Amino acid sequence: MTKELEHSFVAQLEENQNIVHKICRLYTNDSESHNDLFQEITIQLWRAYPKFRGDSKFSTWMYRVALNTAITLYRKSKRMVQTQDYEGVSFKITAEAYDDTVEEQLKLMYKAVKNLNDIDKALVFLYLEDKSYREIAETLGISEVNARVKMNRIKEKLRKILNP
Amino acid sequence: MDELEVLKKEWQSREHEFPKLSSKEIYPMLLRKSSSLVKWIFYISIAELVLWTSLAFVAPESTKQINEAMGLRTTLLVVSIVGYVITFIFIYLFYKNYRSIKVTDSIKDLMSSILRTRKTVRYFVYYNIGAAILLLTFTNIFYYSKKETLYATFSKFSEDYAAIPPESFTTVFFTAQILAGVLLILLLVVFYRLVYGILLRRLKRNYKELKKIEV
Repeated sequence: MTKELEHSFVAQLEENQNIVHKICRLYTNDSESHNDLFQEITIQLWRAYPKFRGDSKFSTWMYRVALNTAITLYRKSKRMVQTQDYEGVSFKITAEAYDDTVEEQLKLMYKAVKNLNDIDKALVFLYLEDKSYREIAETLGISEVNARVKMNRIKEKLRKILNP
Repeated sequence: MDELEVLKKEWQSREHEFPKLSSKEIYPMLLRKSSSLVKWIFYISIAELVLWTSLAFVAPESTKQINEAMGLRTTLLVVSIVGYVITFIFIYLFYKNYRSIKVTDSIKDLMSSILRTRKTVRYFVYYNIGAAILLLTFTNIFYYSKKETLYATFSKFSEDYAAIPPESFTTVFFTAQILAGVLLILLLVVFYRLVYGILLRRLKRNYKELKKIEV
């Protein structure tokens, strides 16, 4: 039984691991912390897995546990470097949109998102993942209206950073 | 065009850039130990509960004899029974709150259940400090009202006290009691500020941020 559970869990995590990587990328600044956080999220997911009933999609359930771990449970290691490595972030620009300024804008945008506080970052992350406001609100534990208002404010904030 | 929309479009297309872990690499991860905030809080809370509960047992034998000689035995027995009942209530509440911490809750619910657990233990510590202050105050008032018996009793049990001349005994004894009490409380305050300040700073900041959205 445990073996079966383990197999199905690992298979699903393997398939959906990008979600976890994306969260690690947003909430940590170097590859060591990235791996640490990935490890902790895996443990938390595995612990919660026996209670996962499958009435929601594995990925939906995963967003919650992974974000909770990144924002609340994860204890940053002391060695964490404060300097952020944005240069490592590259964007694959599609041919028609290719333009140096677009790429530059994207980098700035990503930098601005990374500098948001933990909660705003979670909102933007779910937004980028194309989640509905209902889902965003449920994941954070706030009302849908408030999620919408907050998201508009963050957008405004980001716009100001990019177009001072 | 909205910059965030551009980023959103690119967001999904960057997925291949991430490391791809195989199931072989994921399996050993399941066996590693968690180092989450909840675990830290759990261990420290247990240590606090044990520390405060066991303090009752470390009182030296002479203290008991002194209390008996001073006629405080029954009173202290009743006080300690009440104390144990309250301690058990706290331990039960702590356990209940701890069990309610679920990583599958919404971010806000998870945060508030961690803070609730922490609050229970903090109240337990406050209760202990408060009870200790009350107990010390009343015992000392009682001692003061029976100064003569006190000197006779203490000089019998402790040579150090016997060396003090009777006329300055009262001053020395009560000054020492007050100083020791204040010092102990100061130490505790500094300790808690440090331990929980470090541990809970980020959680509290984020919780505040979430609350702000709701206003």
